[in-house]
Amino acid sequence: MPILLGTLLALVSVVVIVYPFLGSKKYRLVSESFVTREKLRAERLRIYRKISDVEADFTSGDLTEADYQHQRDQLRIAAAEILKQESGESMPNAKRDEELEKQISRLREQSAASTEAPEGGDTL
Amino acid sequence: MADLGVMALLLGLALSAYSAIGAIIGEKIGMAALVVSARRALYMTTVTAIVASGALINAFVQNDFSIAYVADHSNTLMDRAFVWVAFYAGNEGSLLYILLALSVISAISVWFAPKRLARSMPWTIAILAIIQLFYFGVLAFVASPFELLATVPLEGRGINPLLTHPGMFSHPPLLMGGLIGVTIPFAFVSGALIAGNYGDDWIDVARVSAIITWGVLGTGMLLGAWWAYTILGWGGYWAWDPIENVALMPWLVMTAFIHSIMVQKRRGMFRMWNVALLNIAFVLAQLGMFINRGGPVVSVHSFAASTLGTIFLLFMMVSLVFAFALFLWRMPQLKSDRAMESFVSREASFLINNFLFLAVMGVTLWGVLFPVFSDLARDVSVSVSAPYFDRVNGPVLLGIVVMMGIGPLLPWRKTSARSMKQWFVWPIIVGLITIGILVALGIQRPVAIFSFGVLAFVATAIGEEWWRGTAARHRSGDNWALAWWRLVNGNRPRHGGYIVHISILMLALGIIGTNFYQQRTNGSLALGESLVIDSYRIEYVDTFDSSRPDRIAQWAEMTVYQIDPDDYKQEISFAKAQGSSGFTLKDSTLRPNDELIDTIEPWHGFYIDFNMASVRSGIRSTVVEDLYVIPRDFLADGRVSLAVSINPLAWWLWVSGPFFIIGTMVALWPQAAVERRPARKRLKGESEGEL
Repeated sequence: MPILLGTLLALVSVVVIVYPFLGSKKYRLVSESFVTREKLRAERLRIYRKISDVEADFTSGDLTEADYQHQRDQLRIAAAEILKQESGESMPNAKRDEELEKQISRLREQSAASTEAPEGGDTL
Repeated sequence: MADLGVMALLLGLALSAYSAIGAIIGEKIGMAALVVSARRALYMTTVTAIVASGALINAFVQNDFSIAYVADHSNTLMDRAFVWVAFYAGNEGSLLYILLALSVISAISVWFAPKRLARSMPWTIAILAIIQLFYFGVLAFVASPFELLATVPLEGRGINPLLTHPGMFSHPPLLMGGLIGVTIPFAFVSGALIAGNYGDDWIDVARVSAIITWGVLGTGMLLGAWWAYTILGWGGYWAWDPIENVALMPWLVMTAFIHSIMVQKRRGMFRMWNVALLNIAFVLAQLGMFINRGGPVVSVHSFAASTLGTIFLLFMMVSLVFAFALFLWRMPQLKSDRAMESFVSREASFLINNFLFLAVMGVTLWGVLFPVFSDLARDVSVSVSAPYFDRVNGPVLLGIVVMMGIGPLLPWRKTSARSMKQWFVWPIIVGLITIGILVALGIQRPVAIFSFGVLAFVATAIGEEWWRGTAARHRSGDNWALAWWRLVNGNRPRHGGYIVHISILMLALGIIGTNFYQQRTNGSLALGESLVIDSYRIEYVDTFDSSRPDRIAQWAEMTVYQIDPDDYKQEISFAKAQGSSGFTLKDSTLRPNDELIDTIEPWHGFYIDFNMASVRSGIRSTVVEDLYVIPRDFLADGRVSLAVSINPLAWWLWVSGPFFIIGTMVALWPQAAVERRPARKRLKGESEGEL
């Protein structure tokens, strides 16, 4: 019996590792543009989170108003820059600003009011 | 079942070799199907490790003494609940457990790896597979838990008696899991560096996996301390034993890492430093494995297996060379985006705290390795014991606690004098008031008093942070509880960190109390006699036999009375004159103010086959102090020999554990998604998500 189970395990292993070569699914290495898109998105989400942190620091008195304004402006410029790269030149400036505002307010609302179970963010 | 175990190990060996080679070649020649296949092979190694572990556990359940490992670590008298403990009670089984843990967490981390790391994943998979390959190889050819005996014994030797303790269900698995867990952030960061991904894409994976590992390792160490406190019978919880130290060192470095990674995340700084910290932690974890597997340093916990020691030493050396060669190769690309603006800022405080953690690690490492160097250089065997570690590490650890109070109060980038004043006034005042009160109460020991002041300073700093943040939200309409909850919920990594800091304060409280104010006394009592220490009278009222064919064991029933020292004035002054903290009373008559407060039942056993004694201390624990009774031996004349101590504030050591775990979980809990991932159209038959 143990030998039979061992053999079965070996057969299953072979099928699992050989399948990608034989199956109908075609695999390809991800394109450079896909990785770049993912990186930009992750970076943009990180900046949103930083904006939220800066706002929390300001609310708690950790930051002076001048520092807060300066850091928030810098981060918004960085986020806008990334949005621009993500959307190419296709998105008009006004739409981009609107998108940025939308995302930041959504984050602000979440951090101020959300007490429900989260659904996962840009971390694992 | 031995055959199945051996087959699973050999299959795992082949799969991990294939996974490593397939991932590298697939990446190099751009063959996606080969990389996918390699990744699936990595998943299958998890299945083989589970099957091998299952085969061994089943052999324990079946009392299959034809397997040498089962015969060596169990018997039919053993409580069946301890089968899980017996699984990793010996060298071979613990290696299998480590492999199981590594393969499971490798599969989970690869499965959930973010898509932006796709380019570096083949390298990450290869690194994980190579490390698994090493463990499969050792288990298959050098330390197999499935080795068969030529003659099958009717009865096994039994489990090591020191391991028959509830703490053993979780302490070794957490400790070993934590040590091997360091592999995950290391593999992700190394994979990214090999692939030429120099940015911050690996931050989130490294941070999350590092915090999990750190939390697991920290919890494992605390459980180990609790186990030592209740079963080892020496009255302490941390002995700076080499095996304790090799778990502590990577934990210290990981602690430094999880602080400095925040600086990288927030300010884009310390990238090079963070990679170096992960490398150090990984190599230290390998050092731990080496010393644990029969390395040159003697420890009560290590497995004596010298051939394995050499193999693990070689593996550690290879890890060291690989990690730092890769680091040096990619170092020019790891420079930070910006420089530090001020040395009075949060990032600077994190850097100082990092140096302090590394200082404690360095001191501890020197203490662990010095006996080896001494042996090699002078042919003189020496051992480095607790006083060295206490004296050198104590002040640095206190410095870390001070930084725990200062760091969170400093803003990022730079600090103004006004903000310093605003934030530090109350913590300093409360710290000074605490010192003043303790001095006024006539408490002795200036160092301890200063340390209590530091704890008060840090606690106030955390309280102040929470107070201001909560008050700001309260002003906008939330009730106080909701305002605090929203404050914590708004930045879980930060506030989870504060909860962990509170747990460290509790731990520090226990350490200071037990180290500076412990009282001890010894004595032997006949039935009806009592031992008096401080404000306790312990009377030996009865004894019960709990011997079995494999052990001689007895319980002692003891009643504990709270006494009024004035009733014992004469005896106390006599004991003091003798330089003793306690005395025995032959007379069983109680004094007027003696009040019965508890009954304790310490236990002492001697395991014949192991030639080993094991005890369960009798402990009466309160918030203020523990009365701790160790039954050293039951003597032939019916007396019981006791070591009794008062351990002030020991309760806080153990209550810190839940806070540590809760804080870690809060810090880890993912923030709500800012945006949902947009759905993408896929070509027919194409699977971009596979790689």
